[in-house]
Amino acid sequence: MNPDFQAFVQTLVQGLLTGGIYALVGIGLSLIFGVMRVINFAHGDFLALGMFLTLFLFKTVHLDPYFSLLIALPLGFALGYFIQRFVLSRLGDRLSESSMLATLGLGLIVSNMLLLGFGAQPQTINVPYANNTFTLGGIQVSIALLVAGLGTLVAIVGLNLLLYRTELGRAIRATAQNPLGAELQGVNTRTIQATVFGLGVAFAAIAGVLLLPLLYAYPTVGETFTLKAFVVTVLGGLGNLPGAIVGGLFLGGVESLGSFYISNNYRDAYGLIAFLLVLLLRPEGLFGKTVKRV
Amino acid sequence: MRKLMIVGVVGAVSAMLLVQSSAQTAKTGTIKIGAITAVTGRFAEFGTQQLAGFKVGVAEINRRGGINGQKIELLIEDNASDVNKGLAAAERLANAGVPLVICEYSSSLVKAQAQYLARQKVPALVVTSSGDDITKPGNDYIFRLNQPATEYARALLNIFRDSKFKSMAMVAGTGAFEKSVADAALIFAKQYGIQVVEDQRYDQGLTDFRPVLNRIKSKNPDGVLMVSYAADSVTLMRQAREVGVKPRMFAGGAAGFALPDFIKDAGSAAENVVSATAWIQELRYPGTQKLHVELVKALGGAEPSYHAAQAYAGVIAAADAIRRAGSTDREKVRAALNTTNIQTAFGPIVFTDFDGFKNQNNLTMVAEQVQDGKFVPVYPRSVVPKAIKFERP
Repeated sequence: MNPDFQAFVQTLVQGLLTGGIYALVGIGLSLIFGVMRVINFAHGDFLALGMFLTLFLFKTVHLDPYFSLLIALPLGFALGYFIQRFVLSRLGDRLSESSMLATLGLGLIVSNMLLLGFGAQPQTINVPYANNTFTLGGIQVSIALLVAGLGTLVAIVGLNLLLYRTELGRAIRATAQNPLGAELQGVNTRTIQATVFGLGVAFAAIAGVLLLPLLYAYPTVGETFTLKAFVVTVLGGLGNLPGAIVGGLFLGGVESLGSFYISNNYRDAYGLIAFLLVLLLRPEGLFGKTVKRV
Repeated sequence: MRKLMIVGVVGAVSAMLLVQSSAQTAKTGTIKIGAITAVTGRFAEFGTQQLAGFKVGVAEINRRGGINGQKIELLIEDNASDVNKGLAAAERLANAGVPLVICEYSSSLVKAQAQYLARQKVPALVVTSSGDDITKPGNDYIFRLNQPATEYARALLNIFRDSKFKSMAMVAGTGAFEKSVADAALIFAKQYGIQVVEDQRYDQGLTDFRPVLNRIKSKNPDGVLMVSYAADSVTLMRQAREVGVKPRMFAGGAAGFALPDFIKDAGSAAENVVSATAWIQELRYPGTQKLHVELVKALGGAEPSYHAAQAYAGVIAAADAIRRAGSTDREKVRAALNTTNIQTAFGPIVFTDFDGFKNQNNLTMVAEQVQDGKFVPVYPRSVVPKAIKFERP
C-alpha cells in the first residue's frame, strides 16, 4: 500500500474509533434529553466516576478493567435511577433551569468527592495488553482502542434492541413523545424517567471503564468529554440516537484528519468549525427533525 | 491592604524574635545558615527530599568539626508552596542576619525570593529550581548550583548529535517549563545541523496524540523528542507504540519521563526511552554512593531523588564559602561564593558566567535509558555509561 494512503487510513480508523467513544458518551446525554428534556451537565463526571471505579477495583482486588463493566453497569444504572427518582423529579417542571443547575451541582459533588478520595494527581493502570496492537494490511490499531470501539457498537445495538423490541422500550418511546399521553395509557412515567436517567449514567460509566486502559483518570477528566458529548449530540440532533452515533464518528474523523493534515495546535477548532457549519446550514442538526412546540 | 499589613506585622515580630534568638546563639557559637523549602503544600513531596538532603549535609559538616570549630545549623523556613509565603520566609531570614539563604524547588517561587534577597544584598544560593531566567541575566547576589532548563535539551540533543542523527521530530506541551526546554532544543538542533521535521505543541488536556504521531511516523525521523509532564509522557509513549512510530530513539525532555512511575505506568512502552535528569547514584563523583546510602537513611528507607542531593550540595557549598570568607559577613560570603571551586557528591561546583548566565554552575545533565524495565545511565561518558539501545539500526 502507498505509505501516504496507509497513513491516511490509519489516521481515519483511529479517528473513527475515538469518535465511537465520543458517540458512546453522547448517546447517554442524548437519551436523557430525548425523554426528559434535561441537559445532564454531570455527564462527564459520571464518566470520571466509571474510570475511578475501575481504577479502584484494579488496585484493590486486581480486577481486569473489562470485568469491572459487570459492576460499573448496574452501579451506574442504580445511581442514575436514584438521582432522577429522588432529586431531579422533585424539582418539578416549572423552570427548565432548575434541572440544569441541579445536574451542574451534582457534577461538582461527584468530581470533588473523587478529588477527596483519590487526589488530584493523574492515575492509570498498566494492564498487560495496554500496549498490544492489532495489524491488518499495514494498519495498526491498539487492542484497547479497538475494544472501546467495539464496546460502543455492542452498547448501541443493545440499546436499540431495548428501545424497539421490548415493552419497556415502547414505554420509553411513548414517554419521550408525549408524557401525558403515555401516562393516560397506563405507563408509569416516573419509573420510566428514572430508568432512562439510569441508562444514561450507565452509558457514561461504560465509556469511563473502556477509556481507563487508554487514558489517565483524574477528577476533572470528564470536562473534555462533556464538551465533546454536547457537540456530538447537537451535531446529530438533540435526542436523536442514530444522529449521536454519526455525530460522534464525524467529530472523531474530522479532528484526527485535521490534526494530521494541518496542525495539531488547532485540533479542537476543526471539530468546532464543522459544528458551526452544521448549525448554520442545518440548525436542527444533521438528522434532527424540526420540533414544533405546542 | 489589610492582609498585607498583617503579614508585615507578623513578619516584623517574628523577625525581631529571630534576631533575638540569633543573637543568643552567637554566644553558643553555632553558625546559622538560612534555608527555605516546602515543608507543607503541594510541593511538600520535594520538601521532604530537601529536608533529608539538608540533614545529611549539616551532619557531614559538623562531623568534620564544623566551620573553623564552630558547628553549623540551618534556619529552615517553610514557603508553604506559595509565592507570597516564600517571600515572607525570605524576609524573615534576611532580617535574622543569616550570611546566605539556600533556595529551593519551583522557579516561580524561587525567582521572586532570589530577587528580593538580591535587593537586600543577601547572597541567595539556588539549589533546585531550573527556570533559565533565575540566573539569566542573573544578579551579583544570586548563585545556582543546579542545571538550568536549557541543559535538559542540551543533554538529549548531544546524544542525538553523537548518534549521528540527521532529523528529529518534537512534541511539546505549552507550559512554561516545557516551552523553555523545547525552544532550547530547536536552537541546539540548528547548531548541530539536525533537521526538525515536525514541531508540534499541544495544550494541557489533550488525550489523543495519534494524528500527530501518525504524521511523525510518515516523516520517519531519526529521533523523537517529547517534552511533557508525567501523565502525558505515558499516554504519548503508549500511543507512539500503538501507531507504530519507529525512530532510532525516543527521548523525553522533562520530568515526567525520569520518574519511577513512568516505567510502572507505561510498562513495555517505556522500553528504550532516553530521558534527562539532574543526578543519579551511578554518577562517578567522589562520595556519590555514600551520599545515596545516607540519604536513604535520612528518608527512612525511601529512594532519594535528585532534589535531596542538590539540597545536600547546597549546605556543603554554603559552609565552604563561609569558611573561606572567614566570617559571616554577607559581602565577604558573596565574594567567597564567586571563587567557589569544590567537588561534591552532587558534582563539581564552580560559579561562572557563560551563554548569558551569571554565577551559574556549568554542570552536565545525566541521561538515562529504560533498559529491561530499569533506568540505566547512558550519558555523559563520565558515568561509565551502558551502551545506548536503538529502536532500529
